[in-house]
Amino acid sequence: MPSKTTKTSVLLKSSQMFKLILMQLSGLFRKSLNVIMAILAAAVVGSILMLIVGRNPFVVYRLLFQNAFGSERALFITMQRATPLIFTAISSSIAFRTGVFNVGVEGQFFIGAIAGTFVGYAFQLPMILHLPLSLLAGFLGGAAWAYIPTLMRQKLGISEIITTIMTNYIATFLISWLTNYPMRETPLVAETPIVQNTARIPQFVNLNPNLAKGTQAHLGIFIALAVVIITWYIFKYTKLGYQWRMVGLSALFSEFGGINMDKTFIGGMLVSGGIAGLGGVVEILGVWRRYKDLFATGFGFKGNLASLLGGQSIIGSTIAAIFYGGLEAGALGLEWSTGIPRQLIDIVVGLIIFFMAAQGMWSFLNKLKLKNGKPGEGMMAFVKRMFTPKRKEETL
Amino acid sequence: MTYEIEMIGIRKEFPGVVANDNIDFAVRKGEIHALVGENGAGKSTLMNVLFGLYQPDAGTIKIRGEEVKFNNNLDSIAKGIGMVHQSFKLVPSFTVAENITLGHEPSKLGFVDKDAVRENVIKISKRFGLKVDPDSRIRDMPVGIQQRVEILKALYLLSDILILDEPTGVLTPQETDELFEVVRSLVATGITVIFITHKFREVMAISDRVTVLRDGKWIGTKDTKDTNPKELARMMVGREVLLRIDKTEANPKEQVLTVENLKVLDNRLQEAVRDVSLSVKAGEILGIAGVEGNGQRELVEGIIGLRTAVAGDIRINGKSITKMSVRQRRDYGISCVPEDRYVRGVALRASLEDNLIIENYDKAPISKGQVLNLKKIAQHASRLISEFDIRTPSSKVIASTLSGGNLQKVVLAREIDARPKLLIVAQPTRGLDVGSIEFVHRRILEARDRGAAVLLVSAELEEVMSLSDRIAVLYEGNIVGTVKGGEATEEELGLMMAGITDEGEDQRDSHSVEQQVSQEV
Ligand SMILES: Nc1ncnc2c1ncn2[C@@H]1O[C@H](COP(=O)(O)OP(=O)(O)OP(=O)(O)O)[C@@H](O)[C@H]1O
Ligand SMILES: [Mg+2]
Repeated sequence: MPSKTTKTSVLLKSSQMFKLILMQLSGLFRKSLNVIMAILAAAVVGSILMLIVGRNPFVVYRLLFQNAFGSERALFITMQRATPLIFTAISSSIAFRTGVFNVGVEGQFFIGAIAGTFVGYAFQLPMILHLPLSLLAGFLGGAAWAYIPTLMRQKLGISEIITTIMTNYIATFLISWLTNYPMRETPLVAETPIVQNTARIPQFVNLNPNLAKGTQAHLGIFIALAVVIITWYIFKYTKLGYQWRMVGLSALFSEFGGINMDKTFIGGMLVSGGIAGLGGVVEILGVWRRYKDLFATGFGFKGNLASLLGGQSIIGSTIAAIFYGGLEAGALGLEWSTGIPRQLIDIVVGLIIFFMAAQGMWSFLNKLKLKNGKPGEGMMAFVKRMFTPKRKEETL
Repeated sequence: MTYEIEMIGIRKEFPGVVANDNIDFAVRKGEIHALVGENGAGKSTLMNVLFGLYQPDAGTIKIRGEEVKFNNNLDSIAKGIGMVHQSFKLVPSFTVAENITLGHEPSKLGFVDKDAVRENVIKISKRFGLKVDPDSRIRDMPVGIQQRVEILKALYLLSDILILDEPTGVLTPQETDELFEVVRSLVATGITVIFITHKFREVMAISDRVTVLRDGKWIGTKDTKDTNPKELARMMVGREVLLRIDKTEANPKEQVLTVENLKVLDNRLQEAVRDVSLSVKAGEILGIAGVEGNGQRELVEGIIGLRTAVAGDIRINGKSITKMSVRQRRDYGISCVPEDRYVRGVALRASLEDNLIIENYDKAPISKGQVLNLKKIAQHASRLISEFDIRTPSSKVIASTLSGGNLQKVVLAREIDARPKLLIVAQPTRGLDVGSIEFVHRRILEARDRGAAVLLVSAELEEVMSLSDRIAVLYEGNIVGTVKGGEATEEELGLMMAGITDEGEDQRDSHSVEQQVSQEV
């Protein structure tokens, strides 16, 4: 008799466990469903745009896919485009998850790039030292750049949202000056000297001419993946990761529990900035080999978007960064083969983010509406509140 | 006779839990119907079903005899149902007036009419006799006043049926009496009230009928005049419950906590703790009695290190901790159950496992070096869950899925399990059912008998009186008197709490009168 009851209770327990697992899966499913819905919606709107400019969307999407994932070469191009985005996406996610608002990933990326470039061309060292030192310089450059807003918040109490945006602009001007004056190699173009062979990250074609022919994909992808694995491990398995997660989830609780809020803020910001900077130097040492003023922009912002797209989780934002890289590779191929401007893809990605945000916004407004009575009222209240002048103490 | 509300055969299941299991619940028009049951019995769930926030898996709802189906709370609001939730849903950075009228702001030329907002709020606050300052910000107020705002917010939508989910959990006895007046006057105008509470005193005082739930099932509905607390407790818990705990004599040893001339500011930079000196010995419970908002929160936060002491000294076993960080103080042997468990006590979006290790995540065996031991964390959580009888399907769920009482047990479990030298407990049984209160009180006494110094802060006079070995009364940031636990009478304490001491003089100086007034407008 007793054995029977324990058996049923075990059965009951396992069925409960099963339900629990199902619940968690369905949560995951719902989250990814949101992303998929947003992508579909963006694809539809994108199709309309293509129809307007007289293209067949099916053909365009097929070409896009082929150029992103359809061949070995396409995959390598995707890899090359995705590599810097993985860094900036992880950088953004670390900030988000630790409750830090780092809108300065863009600037940190470029400061890291220029710092690493300098070490890369200015020193003569064996590769075994030179490459790691250049990478380290990139990491430190990004972290140092992130330290400015950190200090301004710690000492002056200025929100990092504003200061990280500001430091993006300063970074652009600073680098323009550096590449135009002190670091300039020739009078002709604003670019630095080329980095030494010993500081270059090998490209796949260097290893085997048949592999990745005609692409600039490089071994930096392994550095990116190592960063992904390390940060994932830190968040899941270490005390530091626990502190970061808790502060991100509830600052008040963490403070009560004795977590050092200043340390967490500074740590989150510096590591986020450092990884952005590392992404910058990897991009230089792997692809460009020298810093040309304004060689590219938007890595930081794209990383922010990929992080949002991936639900701010480490794995999710990595997948999103690869997806984003694929879209870019596809768009490049599209431009070559059909002349469709690759900015179209920026529009599509923008639309995906828009639709994802719209879902969040929609459920937020719905809640407001549900809480407060008549439909639509919540939205009105929300809009009104946005335009209501703040009280004095708040603006202080 | 048709009922105002009839819920028939209601079933609501969450993954791993049947929160409502075939419940029948009927309320007559114009009555005050108390709904009682243990933590996690399914009271809030049943009310959320009635309010349209949850869709039942089975069962029907009739309002005034007419069958209804609520898809959301718009539908139920349209039927005249209003609800005050157990956990606060106010916006901390908004003022009282903005919170109450949120979504229903009177407007002028498309902009919110600030003056009208204030006026409306003053009007209804007068009409229902609930005093609030329309311009205060929620985050600066004691929890008691915040709850008052919640009630006003529900009344603002003028309902015929008002659901109050544990409205008195955070109120002082005086505020509770005021609320009862309000409820009675509402009922006199024909409004029907459903009243969830854990306090039998309140059931007996205010309700006409009472329904008991246990484990998601309907146990019985009684006319209040035909029942008594003992019977209700038995129905709720399924066994005899000690309504007042028997406590052994304290055996105080060395002095653990010494506070000398402590001064602490509140959020508005007013002196909330003015000049407090007190001491607690190992093996002793010092109760702090006082009307809420007299510096209790700041005193606790000052000792644990969330607020800096402007003046004075705090010592543990003779060593000054005044300059230490929260972590250092915790490591030095202080634990604390904070009064606002939803904000400070837990991270609602984190798992129970994560919530349960904030105290010891940096100590073996939970972590070694930098690395966490996930297996030990899971074991730690399961052990506390079973030791403290926390009702949850798994230790992996996030804290916000737990019922209010069970959430409190999570905090208690974590803080008591740390085996502190000094255990601070602020409002430890707020929102707990009788069985759990008995359990928590026993745990606090156990901690004392193990040799911990216990500082108990509670707005429940009964609780302070039954647990404390000594009682200090806090009034306007000062200790106005200390009495022995066994010898205090309710009248004596009540007088001290009002600031009237033996010397027969009113302690209020002109400054404090000013403050009092600004709090009351
Ligand atoms: N959203 C949810 N998701 C999962 N489980 C839930 C959810 N809401 C409630 N539960 C579970 O349902 C049960 C009933 O919870 P409910 O909140 O109704 O209890 P209660 O009677 O109001 O308790 P208390 O007195 O502690 O507030 C509990 O076991 C709780 O953990
Ligand atoms: Mg409840």
